[in-house]
Amino acid sequence: MSAVLAPGRPLRAGPLARRAARAPRTAGRILAGTATVFLLSSLLTFALGAVSDANPAAAALGETATPADIARLDHEFGLDRPLPAQYGSWLVHALGGDLGRSWFTTVPVADSISAALPVDLSIAGLALVLAVALGGAAGTAAALGHGGRVDRAVTAVCTVLGTLPAFVIAIGLITLVAVQLRLLPSGGYVPFGRNPAQWLRFAFLPALALSLDAAAGIARQLRSSLVGALRENYATGAVMRGLSRRRVLLGHVLRNAAGPAVTVLGMSVPMLIGGAVVTERIFNLPGIAQLSLRAAEQHDVPVIQGTLLVTVAVVLIANLAVDAGLYALNPAARRGRPARAGQEADR
Amino acid sequence: MSVLRTTARAPIARTALAVLAVVAVLALTGGLLAPLDPLAQDTARILQGPSGAHLLGTDYLGRDVLSRLLAGTGLSVLTAAEAVAAAMLLGVVPGLASVRFGAALSWISLRAVDALMTLPFTLFAIAAVGVLGNGLHQAMLALGVLLAPLFFRVTRAAALGLDRAQYVEAAELMGASRSWILRVHIWRKVLPTVAVTTAHALATSLLAVSSLTFLGIGVQPPAPTWGGMLAGDLGFLAQQPWAPALPAALIMLTVGALNLLADAVRDAEPADAVRGAGPADTAVRKEHRDGLAAV
Repeated sequence: MSAVLAPGRPLRAGPLARRAARAPRTAGRILAGTATVFLLSSLLTFALGAVSDANPAAAALGETATPADIARLDHEFGLDRPLPAQYGSWLVHALGGDLGRSWFTTVPVADSISAALPVDLSIAGLALVLAVALGGAAGTAAALGHGGRVDRAVTAVCTVLGTLPAFVIAIGLITLVAVQLRLLPSGGYVPFGRNPAQWLRFAFLPALALSLDAAAGIARQLRSSLVGALRENYATGAVMRGLSRRRVLLGHVLRNAAGPAVTVLGMSVPMLIGGAVVTERIFNLPGIAQLSLRAAEQHDVPVIQGTLLVTVAVVLIANLAVDAGLYALNPAARRGRPARAGQEADR
Repeated sequence: MSVLRTTARAPIARTALAVLAVVAVLALTGGLLAPLDPLAQDTARILQGPSGAHLLGTDYLGRDVLSRLLAGTGLSVLTAAEAVAAAMLLGVVPGLASVRFGAALSWISLRAVDALMTLPFTLFAIAAVGVLGNGLHQAMLALGVLLAPLFFRVTRAAALGLDRAQYVEAAELMGASRSWILRVHIWRKVLPTVAVTTAHALATSLLAVSSLTFLGIGVQPPAPTWGGMLAGDLGFLAQQPWAPALPAALIMLTVGALNLLADAVRDAEPADAVRGAGPADTAVRKEHRDGLAAV
């Protein structure tokens, strides 16, 4: 409306129309980028197997494998074909949900992964919720009390958390909550589908241990962008119009300040999954990392490749979700790829 | 250079540097400083508290904790440094070369960087070790590959910005050689940024190495490492709840010092050198580029 009323300014399409016109093009570019990244990652994952001298006969039969066994099993798993052909068929099958069979147990890799993945996804999901809740609350509190005691406390805690690996936090939580206070079990797992309450009992500590690092990142980012946004004219204007502190914060400032925090949240997804490896070992969870560790000990290449590829897919999907979230928050951010604020540390 | 000199004057940076110097000395001489053999087991005295004979107590096999901490510093810190060295090599050289890339190659190389950044450190290192054999060098190479994008991005951004700076062009016009310009004009400007990135990468690498050694990857169990000690303490939390605090404190101290140092270097940088605000384009260069684009 203001465009119509403002004198001397040419008529332009409204923000909604502009947003609609720009959306498909940006979406196409982002999808093309994501597809390329997935292809490159799959190439790297495949190359990892191609450069190794591990073979199915050695993995399954160990020292007793004869050259005839090696040749037979190589042929059975298609390893006697040229590498490009192997890569092509592996990728095509993988896109169709078939990741091959384990060299060791000949169980389909996709079955093992789909049994293990829900453990990680449910715990990482809970960790994300905790990270947003804790980091959001801490960051907002610090920004509102900018320069005060709360602010300094939040900053100090965030700095300390940034120097600790997730597994040290996990050990601390086990010592305190499970061993000393005996409030929650120190390890084990019950699927969400079987008993949600029990699932929460087992999943809470690992999720909390995973989330604290991400929460610290979100709190730090949200604090600094909120401090900036609260000084903007529109925030002062909203206060002058008599809006309550709450409405200024929730309706105006938070929406604008949330962008960088969402980016940090998206970057913490690979970190959550990477941290899950160690957390799974500590809390004895039957997740994808345990699968990958066991496969690494047995040189079971298809399982190693499968877990890596699925992890990449999960991370990329999470990145797309973050891009969509950023777009919903602020279409102007979509002119280029969003600056991945901060560093990729602590993954 | 002046940036690094300013940094060295800041009290926080001095504290951080002092901590890092101590850690470096421990890493190089830790095995010699250890009062007892870090591998010697004394099953009569397991899980003991601090005493005159064992200043920090003994672990579940009766090994001296202080000796294991000192001896483990080398493996933990030097392997982290190895990964960062690999990352520098893999990141800086392509980063400098990428200035000469065409649009298509640039796009692909940036997507390759994105691809490396989607891979989680620990899972990728586990995969590399599973495929290439369980060794520290395999794990560190994997880590280096994943850390390389940090250096690639920083070097590329700096090189792109500085390549069109007016003083670089002026030096060229006065007949300065390429290597002299690199050494005198470009390297000095890039150094603080590279220093910040190196400190961050070292901190990240140290955290990843402690995770990996915690899982028993890259290092065979009897050899002491900070991460491996934490893994050993995990089974005896009921008897010795404070035991994990010692290696954890060393990890925290080192990583914290690195992060503080990185922040101090960044704070010492003049405002106009802040990332993203590169030097202005010169008319001649712009014309040159436009001409190239037209061809």
